[in-house]
Amino acid sequence: MNYNLETQKIIGRIKEKNHKTILLQLADGLKPEAKSIADQIEKETQANVLIWLGSCFGACDTPFGLQQLEIDLTVQFGHNVFIKNSKGW
Amino acid sequence: MDHLLINAEYNKEFELNEETLTYCKKYKTIVLYAAIQFSQNLKKILEQLKSSGIKVITSQPERTHAKHQILGCDLSYKNLKLETKPDAFLYIGDGLFHPRALALSQKEENEFKEIIRFDPIANKHYILGLNDIGKILKKSKSNLLKFLHADTIGVLITTKPGQQQFQPSKQLKELYPNKKFYYFIDNNISFDQFENFPFIECWINTACPRIGFDDSLNSEFPIINLTEALQAESLLSKKSLLN
Repeated sequence: MNYNLETQKIIGRIKEKNHKTILLQLADGLKPEAKSIADQIEKETQANVLIWLGSCFGACDTPFGLQQLEIDLTVQFGHNVFIKNSKGW
Repeated sequence: MDHLLINAEYNKEFELNEETLTYCKKYKTIVLYAAIQFSQNLKKILEQLKSSGIKVITSQPERTHAKHQILGCDLSYKNLKLETKPDAFLYIGDGLFHPRALALSQKEENEFKEIIRFDPIANKHYILGLNDIGKILKKSKSNLLKFLHADTIGVLITTKPGQQQFQPSKQLKELYPNKKFYYFIDNNISFDQFENFPFIECWINTACPRIGFDDSLNSEFPIINLTEALQAESLLSKKSLLN
């Protein structure tokens, strides 16, 4: 893999906060990596992993309405912090 | 809910190849941008450009969180926050989405500055010129005219928190009191639904602004962005690449 997916940072956060349910959201080019990331997280922690199937166009495109699934941590791959301007584009 | 963003930075060393560096020497001043996967590791390229006598400028565009980073949504020259006008743009990355934003950001300018896209994985550069966005600009102008002549407008609001712009869209009613606006809500904006609302003469997108440009080519129904709708007459009346 030519990109640093920082899985140890994610695992560290899961253990530190005792997160139980994790959602992985990947930019299209990184979606094939979902398996290895999910496998590693489930091997090294007690957490269950869900994978977002749909779009991940940017940090502006975060999953919405997930309350019923009781997700503790969302991890989005491939994007940096997005600074929204509420007055428009 | 806790949230983590992973940049997925490219973990191999990269630099401009000889051919690309020679091409860049055509220009005195270049602005350097990159996708987040590459923008944190540009030291070598900065050194190459400087030692070749090229003045390198950069900025942190409006919605980004890091210097040199460019997003696909900063689509106006003003949003780039450049203090000096460059002779050309150099973009480091392996996709077309971001450098095309740099091309579209020049739509209100009088002169086009080309974009040199260097792909560090393919170790090759490509040139993005005005012709590459010609169809988009033509469609955009045509859709702006259709909007001005339309009476019944559909306004598209996304539920994605990062893209939702319901508040600013309320200006439309004040600015165009003779038009009737209907508001439509969805998560992903899909053109497939347009044919189910045949009373809409023109659509206004308030979500990702690329929908009103690149994606508009895939819609048989006119669609423009809110930003352009709010200044339609002014955009059509001034001399620019759009016209």
